[in-house]
Amino acid sequence: MQASRARLFKEYKEVQREKSADPDIQLICDDSNIFKWTALVKGPSETPYEGGVFQLAFSIPEQYPLLPPQVRFLTKIFHPNVHFKTGEICLDILKNAWSPAWTLQSVCRAIIALMAHPEPDSPLNCDSGNLLRSGDIKGYQSMARMYTRLAAVPKKG
Amino acid sequence: MSTKRVLCKFFMHGACLKGEYCEFSHDWKDQANNVCTFYQKGACSYGSRCRYDHVKVSRNPKVLPPPQSSSTSRPASTSLQLLGSGHPPHMGNQIDSSNQRHQISVDVLAHSSSKPAWRNDLRHENVLEDGIDWSSNRSLQNQTSLKPADIPICSFAAAGNCPYGDGCPQMHGDLCTTCGKMCLHPYRPDEREEHTKLCEKNHKRLESLKRSQEIECSVCLDRVLSKPTAAERKFGLLSECDHPFCIACIRNWRSNSPASGMDVNSALRACPICRRLSYYVIPSVLWYFSKEEKDEIIESYKSKLKSIDCKYFDFGTGSCPFGTSCFYRHAYRDGRLEEVVLRHLDADDGSVVIAKNIRLSDFLSRMHL
Repeated sequence: MQASRARLFKEYKEVQREKSADPDIQLICDDSNIFKWTALVKGPSETPYEGGVFQLAFSIPEQYPLLPPQVRFLTKIFHPNVHFKTGEICLDILKNAWSPAWTLQSVCRAIIALMAHPEPDSPLNCDSGNLLRSGDIKGYQSMARMYTRLAAVPKKG
Repeated sequence: MSTKRVLCKFFMHGACLKGEYCEFSHDWKDQANNVCTFYQKGACSYGSRCRYDHVKVSRNPKVLPPPQSSSTSRPASTSLQLLGSGHPPHMGNQIDSSNQRHQISVDVLAHSSSKPAWRNDLRHENVLEDGIDWSSNRSLQNQTSLKPADIPICSFAAAGNCPYGDGCPQMHGDLCTTCGKMCLHPYRPDEREEHTKLCEKNHKRLESLKRSQEIECSVCLDRVLSKPTAAERKFGLLSECDHPFCIACIRNWRSNSPASGMDVNSALRACPICRRLSYYVIPSVLWYFSKEEKDEIIESYKSKLKSIDCKYFDFGTGSCPFGTSCFYRHAYRDGRLEEVVLRHLDADDGSVVIAKNIRLSDFLSRMHL
């Protein structure tokens, strides 16, 4: 408990210090609870998610960093490895391949990488996975871009 | 001589436990025996600074010294008396008259017949400003009976700073380039070598400690050597890679239960950074900066464990799951080490596995008889 708090505080300071280091990731700690964070990540370029800003919710266990943080998308996203309803993410580093050397920042980076390189063979969103597996890249991209426009692109004006 | 007439040293300080049974006198009128025993043997390293009297005690108390000796009974006091400054301070608690000293049959030898030690005490004019007379020490050095290797070097210079500098009458050691102190004895080669070795080792350790201060643990993100308790200020070295962690952090991570969903081999036993598999962690106060340093740390750790008896092996009565790979000592009660014959079993697919000890008792216990 104490160790996780100290470690999260370190990460918080690091985030404050290097706010502009990674313009694609913005990590915000909950004002009253250091175990709750939200992140805003930009959809990577040359993907159907480009132009979108996706909100992630972090729930950090007390045994952190020995256990991985629980992360889910708050913004709707059409992606084979993200549950369409709950926003749950299927990513090995958040499950069995977690390492205590990972930070919240690096988890965000891994999620951005996952957006750019979907894994259709372990899908949480079967529709999306099936489109990719059947080779209908154009179909997948259209659906993903549509949901990005609908849910993730900030309204103008 | 009768000890009853000599004032008890303990009584003088109000601390004699023997009371009336004391073989020494408890009468203030009697004279204390304040004779330096080292001076009797020929060499007192305190010289004229000694709080005890540097006078020679005659073996035959009946022989009275020649009368003229009384005036030079205590060279230090004599010269001071000549200066008209009274008696030296450390003579305060005894009777000053040299004549009375004869009553406790102290034979004062004034003439320079036998040993030069007390002869040289007469050169009292080079008392330094703080009253310390180093000349007697020099006189010790001048004695032909002492070999140069037996002469101690100036302890102030050896500690780093001698207030007398070049004017110090004591021999200064040679400069040790590592610690910057004049602590190398010019005539003791063994001691020199030992010091140089130790000093270099200490210096290296200190340097490495200084550099280790900066190293951060990748799990708690703290500097390992800045942790609050001493037990936490230790590195955990992984055998197969060079990434630094606190011993507590890496051990906590590795002992994480597989029930948490993490793979034992690909996550828990792997380095959190490079994921290379390491089978053991080596605790160390210092971080290493070369492969040799790392090997040294690992070797000393293993040899330390090798001297501890394995609690699983338990002098042959138990069985150790680590077998021949165990770091602890596998020895029987009579000190005989375990001899291991590995049993190789050929598997169907052509590979070879090393079989564990096969015990009849294990087989029987499985049968639930």
